[in-house]
Amino acid sequence: MNPTVVKKPVSVKKVILRVLLYFIVLDVCVITLYPYFAMFCTALKSRAEIFSPNGTVLPITALWSNFIDIWSRAPMAKYLVNSILIAGGSTIIAMLCGIPAAYALARMRFKGQTAFLGFIIVSQMFAPVVLLIGIYKVMLTLGLTDSILGLIFINAAFNQAFTIWLLRGTFMGISAEMEQAATIDGCNRLQSMLRVLLPVAAPGIVTTLIFIFINAWNEYTVALCLISTDEFKPLTVGINIFNGYNMIEWQYLFAASIFAIIPVVILFMGIEKNLVSGLASGGVKG
Amino acid sequence: MILGGVSVNKVAPSKPAPAKKANPPRKSGSSVKRVLRTVEPYVWIAPSVILMAVFILIPILSVFQMSLSDVSKAGKIKGFNGIANFTKVLKAPAFSLVLQNTLVWTVAVVVLSTVLGFVLALILNNQFRGRKVARAIVVFPWATTLVVQASVWNFIINKDYGTLNTLLLKLGIVSQPVNWTPTPEAYFAWEIACGIFVTVPFVTFCVLSGLQSIDTTYYEAATVDGANYWQKLFKITLPLVKSSLTVSTVLNIIYVFNSFPIIWTMTKGDPANHTDTLVTYLYKLAFYNGRQGEAAAVSVIGFILLLICASVYMIYTLRKGDDY
Repeated sequence: MNPTVVKKPVSVKKVILRVLLYFIVLDVCVITLYPYFAMFCTALKSRAEIFSPNGTVLPITALWSNFIDIWSRAPMAKYLVNSILIAGGSTIIAMLCGIPAAYALARMRFKGQTAFLGFIIVSQMFAPVVLLIGIYKVMLTLGLTDSILGLIFINAAFNQAFTIWLLRGTFMGISAEMEQAATIDGCNRLQSMLRVLLPVAAPGIVTTLIFIFINAWNEYTVALCLISTDEFKPLTVGINIFNGYNMIEWQYLFAASIFAIIPVVILFMGIEKNLVSGLASGGVKG
Repeated sequence: MILGGVSVNKVAPSKPAPAKKANPPRKSGSSVKRVLRTVEPYVWIAPSVILMAVFILIPILSVFQMSLSDVSKAGKIKGFNGIANFTKVLKAPAFSLVLQNTLVWTVAVVVLSTVLGFVLALILNNQFRGRKVARAIVVFPWATTLVVQASVWNFIINKDYGTLNTLLLKLGIVSQPVNWTPTPEAYFAWEIACGIFVTVPFVTFCVLSGLQSIDTTYYEAATVDGANYWQKLFKITLPLVKSSLTVSTVLNIIYVFNSFPIIWTMTKGDPANHTDTLVTYLYKLAFYNGRQGEAAAVSVIGFILLLICASVYMIYTLRKGDDY
């Protein structure tokens, strides 16, 4: 085919395709943002306005006080602190256990390595919800039911697979030569990992860290099942205080929800690019 | 790699043995070192192994044990009772409905989000103004906790005060408020829609990562050879993003099958199990009805189904992969 002959029709086609592209992208964005828009508008309405038969899309009078009221109507501050403790604690434990394991899997050969990797993959098949009965029993034995510490351990354990998977991919992508040189210079393995590998792997580590934090922050099912005392609940479970059996306070539920999602959405946008490449490289190399 | 040449047996692969390090056999310097080196990897993986053993492996074993036992309401195991729990579960009239719902839920959400996510990834892979903003927006549903997402959709589709009706009325598309959820099946369809909404971004980003690693010279060569858009899509793009697509599909099968918050928040499986999937069903069995033995049996059935689905899919794609 001679490119000069077909040049003109192609450029017309290109314009149409461009317009179509922008149209689709715009649609996707609008649909994606719609629930957040609806949530925000509703969070600003009064109860009467929400249930009014002549509803409006935008609030007639914006009740910013809803965002302040939720802190006195429910122990929101407690929920927020609990969420931070659970997500932070899970992240720390998952990393402390996951980094050495990923390091061993990336840099050493040992018997049972394949079995360990296999167990990591199989463990992904068991969501906490399927194992809740078993988890509950373990928690009873350890005396960790209805405690934040219990949730921290569960979240850390169920995020091990991802942690190890992502970090192993990161470590394997980094040449071992520098560490070997450090070993020759008299560093032991721990020192060479801490001083040579980890600084180079920092972007991958931060991505993993944030990802676990988000997972633990968003966790709902185990917290719903294990936590019965109101003051130990994280935000995801706690905000349902506004979602009562006989009366739903939509404006408060959504105002509280916004506090639960904003930090996570911001964190997520920061790591989105690295996370996906990490997932892919871990997957290909696995 | 450094340890490649050293091989000392006598170390049980499953048992990390940090104790050995403290008490090495004192024969000669080199053998102490050798034992240390053999033990070393197990020390490194020990924390992770212990964490997963206590909080994942023991619960798995205990669920399997309970599924074969007579369990009291309080969760005490009273004795082995064979497959009695399984027959009870399978005989329950609601179970076939729940099973059917689970399959519909998993297949619909995974298939539709994979297709939509793939198309969206192809679109977002183009160069255009505002691409970064669009990518940032698309990631929103992935980052939002499912409970919140489900509550919002529940509110949007409400007949009396939902914002979807308000919006359509204001735009003049409908003249009467539409009842979006006239039947349990309709409600279930909305739950599926919500599931798709939150699953698409994950597929999109997995595929995008695959697309970005494709060498553009392939496309240039194909263009020179006169290939059209669809030929390039099916002969170059699809085979090359297949590994990303496999990862995302296998993970999605598992996540969607086990997904609890959306259905729990929107309908709790009501009315009369019409919107229940296996996980909501087993949650109610275990924590509302105190039938833990049967709940454990449902868990085991679910796990076996999942194992079959995921391995069939993996074998299928791997075998197909040999053709290329």
